[in-house]
Amino acid sequence: MSAPHSARLRRLAPYALAGGAGMFLFYVATQFDFHRRGGTLGPDFWPKLILALLVIVCACEFARILFAKNPDADIGNVLEAIAEDADSSEPVAPPAPAARHPWRLLAGMAATLAYVALVATTGFFLTTAAYLAAFLVIGGYRNRRVIAALSIGGALLLMFIFMKLVYVSLPLGSGPFAEFTFLLMKIMGIR
Amino acid sequence: MDHNSLTLLAHGFAQVMMPVNLLFLVVGIVLGLLVAVLPGLTLVMGVVLALPFTYSMAVTPAIILLTAMYVSGTYAGAWTSILFRVPGEPIDVPLLWDGYPMARKGEAAKALGWTLLAAFFGGMVAATTMVLLAQPVAKIALTFSSPEYFAIIFFGLASVVSLGGGTLANALISLFAGILLATVGVDDTYGAHRFTFGVPILADGIDYLVVMVGAYGLGEVFMRMEQGFQSPQLARTGDIRTRLPRLTEALAMKATFIRGALAGIVIGIVPGAGATVASFLSYGIEAQYGKRRHKMGTGIPEGIVAPQVAATASVGGALIPLVTMGIPGSGATAIILGAFLLHGLQPGPQVFQTSSHIIYALFASVFVGIIVMCAIGYFATKYMVKVLDLPEVIVSAYVVMCCLLGAFAARNNLTDVWMMVIFGIIGYLFERFRFPITPMVLGVILGPLAEANFMTTMISFENDWTVLFTRPVASAIMAIAIITLIYPLFRYLRHQGKGRR
Repeated sequence: MSAPHSARLRRLAPYALAGGAGMFLFYVATQFDFHRRGGTLGPDFWPKLILALLVIVCACEFARILFAKNPDADIGNVLEAIAEDADSSEPVAPPAPAARHPWRLLAGMAATLAYVALVATTGFFLTTAAYLAAFLVIGGYRNRRVIAALSIGGALLLMFIFMKLVYVSLPLGSGPFAEFTFLLMKIMGIR
Repeated sequence: MDHNSLTLLAHGFAQVMMPVNLLFLVVGIVLGLLVAVLPGLTLVMGVVLALPFTYSMAVTPAIILLTAMYVSGTYAGAWTSILFRVPGEPIDVPLLWDGYPMARKGEAAKALGWTLLAAFFGGMVAATTMVLLAQPVAKIALTFSSPEYFAIIFFGLASVVSLGGGTLANALISLFAGILLATVGVDDTYGAHRFTFGVPILADGIDYLVVMVGAYGLGEVFMRMEQGFQSPQLARTGDIRTRLPRLTEALAMKATFIRGALAGIVIGIVPGAGATVASFLSYGIEAQYGKRRHKMGTGIPEGIVAPQVAATASVGGALIPLVTMGIPGSGATAIILGAFLLHGLQPGPQVFQTSSHIIYALFASVFVGIIVMCAIGYFATKYMVKVLDLPEVIVSAYVVMCCLLGAFAARNNLTDVWMMVIFGIIGYLFERFRFPITPMVLGVILGPLAEANFMTTMISFENDWTVLFTRPVASAIMAIAIITLIYPLFRYLRHQGKGRR
């Protein structure tokens, strides 16, 4: 497959996906369970209208990318037009494309999901301290003392602010983790 | 302005000057300035992250804090644009074009002075306009029926598609995704489950604050994480000072100030457009009609004043539809609306009868906030830009914590946190594949209002949708909205035609 051809197919993918999802959800909307009252639009009308518009936009964009002579010439919006017309400053070299770190991103997402999964069991303080430390390491920060201070100190500070000042009942954890949280609360004067 | 409004405004000032409220105002201004300076944080993100801290506050200090952040968030990004060629926000991009060249000519102090004066003028003119227009607009809004409300919301949605970032198709898809997200849950009228897929937690619907925190906050952090948290390389600058222009110099540019303020107020009022559009548009107007238009981009004060006046003026404009009709026109005003709703207050035409003291405290806080912001800007620029030395990964770690806590604290519910993380990932994917986030967020916020007003119109007028085009006010607004929507398509076809020739 030639390079321009595969590039065109890559560009089509999001619209095919969105259009497909739109058609599936339209079908789901036809199955809503309700008693229709005579002469009125049901609760399915509005979502169906929006989904129909979504599918039409996807189909139009799909066709444009597929058949237009220059598919890269997007239909830009007014802000881009203003910026193009207004930027009269001296031309500068375009910035170098930012390096991508997909593994760092995946690790960051995984750590965040793990945080939400664990916080109810291990309690706010321990989970937050561990998460902050992990986030800083994943983000490329290497000063261990600063990491320790920011993660432990940060978790304590957030716990104090939210439990003592904002009155939010943060997750305490269960079993020994809850006992540890109660101890910390006692030390910080949180009731 | 009648005697009653003046009295209410005076009471508003008295409330803002109370020590607790004044403290939160100063905190809000400082936080807004810091958020605007840091390239990884946007104004909307800052206001989103501050929201959970307001849960336990009384409504007045909460609104004052968030409004102060909104006001100052339009200003401080100019410092880094001028000094380091690093725009703190998209709003500040036009400030690069003349601000940085001016700094390179050795006039950084003067450029900062022009910025300060522009923010002060734009903010004050817009705040005055807001106070003068709010009551009359609310009175007019009281006469509106559901077709007019639907037309206004449709105009807002059309504006965000047409004026926001990204391509027209991507903006529309993003908007439709947002409107659909708002339909998830049990329908109010029929009790039908819509897109709940048998999952009980979806029956309650998806809270727009969760979508905002995830998409704006976490999504942006994921994006920066993928880029390796590359902090900007800052150029060395000499002594950072602010030198105000002389009165004669300022008077010579009165037309630029007035044009910018008008553009900012009008764009602010338009639901869906915001400070970024105002800033770009005002620069564009100046480049087209200004006295020294041929010198724009070479480092002249007009290129600084025009976008800055408009950006700050847009705040006052954006607050008008929020308080008078309950329609938030931008991300930041949507958060302020969220704070109102959390405290059991519904902005709209009736709010002037039920809670006018809070509304006038908000108005007064804009005036006082601008003065405090300019004072801090004059004396503390040098110290505040030091925040750029902080490694971005540290700031981001705490941003994520604020996102997680913000999502949890609203209802003490971990499900909301899961939702927020999912919307964080969706926000990242949107940015990665160049789908703008703002239309989705405004779709989630305005979608239920649009649906409710559309359905009411259909019930009231026996399913006759042409009523939207036959009632005078509704039809005029619908016409403007449709023109706004098709303008990018028209421009595209014209370009294609030129290309063929």
